[in-house]
Amino acid sequence: MSEAPVIEFHCVTKKFGGVTAVEDLTFAVRPGRIVGLLGRNGAGKSTALRVLLGLVQPTAGHANLFGHAYQDLPDAPRRIGVSMDTIGPTPGTTGRRDLRIWARSLGLPDSRVEAVLDQVGLTDSADRKVKGYSTGMRQRLALATALLPDPELLVLDEPVNGLDPDGIRWLRELLRTLAAEGRTVLLSSHLLAEVEQTVDDVVILQRTLRYSGPLARLTTDGADRLEDRFFELAGASAPGGSRD
Amino acid sequence: MTDALRGEWLKAWSGKAWIVLLVCGTYMSLMTSFGYGSEGDKALDQGSGDLAAVTDDVVRAWMMTFLFASLYGAIVVTREYGSGSISRSVLVMGRARLFGAKLAVGALMGALSGVVAVVFSVLSAWGVLTVYGRDFAWTKETTLIAVGLFACNVLAAPWGVFIGWIIRHQIASVVTVMALTLLVDPGLQRLAPKAASYLFTIALSSVYRDVGHTLLSPQTALLVIAGWLAAAGCAAYRLLRVRDLT
Repeated sequence: MSEAPVIEFHCVTKKFGGVTAVEDLTFAVRPGRIVGLLGRNGAGKSTALRVLLGLVQPTAGHANLFGHAYQDLPDAPRRIGVSMDTIGPTPGTTGRRDLRIWARSLGLPDSRVEAVLDQVGLTDSADRKVKGYSTGMRQRLALATALLPDPELLVLDEPVNGLDPDGIRWLRELLRTLAAEGRTVLLSSHLLAEVEQTVDDVVILQRTLRYSGPLARLTTDGADRLEDRFFELAGASAPGGSRD
Repeated sequence: MTDALRGEWLKAWSGKAWIVLLVCGTYMSLMTSFGYGSEGDKALDQGSGDLAAVTDDVVRAWMMTFLFASLYGAIVVTREYGSGSISRSVLVMGRARLFGAKLAVGALMGALSGVVAVVFSVLSAWGVLTVYGRDFAWTKETTLIAVGLFACNVLAAPWGVFIGWIIRHQIASVVTVMALTLLVDPGLQRLAPKAASYLFTIALSSVYRDVGHTLLSPQTALLVIAGWLAAAGCAAYRLLRVRDLT
């Protein structure tokens, strides 16, 4: 397997008006790894992922997937599965119909829709309107959409949000299975305890990069808690919670 | 591009927008048809009208469907901004193919709306005048009006699509389409009839052969409409390419 980075951020800065969401972000993700992008709410995680996917233009720097910008990467939609908190399903659809829309757009057969519905455990509710789905079911549908093209790389923004304990365990096992198959996963989260059980590498972002490397090195092979190391690197929170 | 079109076609029939707009457009046009039929019947009773003109008015009443074709075009784009699914559409299809597929599917839905308008306009010419105990007088002019109705629907849907891309907000784009069609353009037409004949929705009036206003010839109007669509399309595509999807 090639050890060329699957994902590379080079000095990425993104400003929205006078607000700097991400500043001078540089890190790489190696193939076959599960990488946790950690930070508080408003730390710039989603912005960084949107820059990576070409949804947002960086103010400076660039981000590549498999050596190319997303829009220049051949067959990008089939190679990269995406689930983001802010990407909802097609309005007015059922779970099955929503997946069929994306399957057709990707040139995939309907059998693939049934396969991912089964994979995420939504087969029984596939013909219900998505509007009536619980948060956890919506999260599973988003994951099903990401898995639809059987991608080499998964980019998941807060994938644990809304999942119940069974769902969290299922997701952890799924990600482990995907990584064992040589696929790469970049997931953003602010749930440190969950991430600690799932990822190989960690990127800590608090507008600027605070750490990038193996989880084991950060936690001294488990001698330190990720939470403690996170607060050391990301800085203390404002009273009452995050500094959004 | 075929895959993008297949995906967009399935999206086009998802949700209730298409049926709600179709029903609203049909209902309002039918009511207007009856209005023209009633007025025409009175005029004919008084000996001041002719049956062909009344038939034309009843058929022309279905021009209202183009407003709903525009609204559909705007909604089919902006509802994706509301749900956030626009980001996935861009990721899956890319901006250029998505833009092309939405335009093509919007125009096709406009064509279907046009077919509905023509079919119902023919039926209403027969049905409305039958209610008033009269036969209808279908002339070459009536045929041209019906063809104009179809063309207006086909042209109005991409107009709505472009407004949707430019505004990116469902309520704002719906209000804009309605305000332009029902308020701004007709208002300007009263203030400056000649200049207003070059506005998009007023130029459409030439295509469905409206009467009683200062209008361009249908040929000139089609050129003006093409200009408006080209300008709006260029603006919409440029904005889609440069604006962030947050």
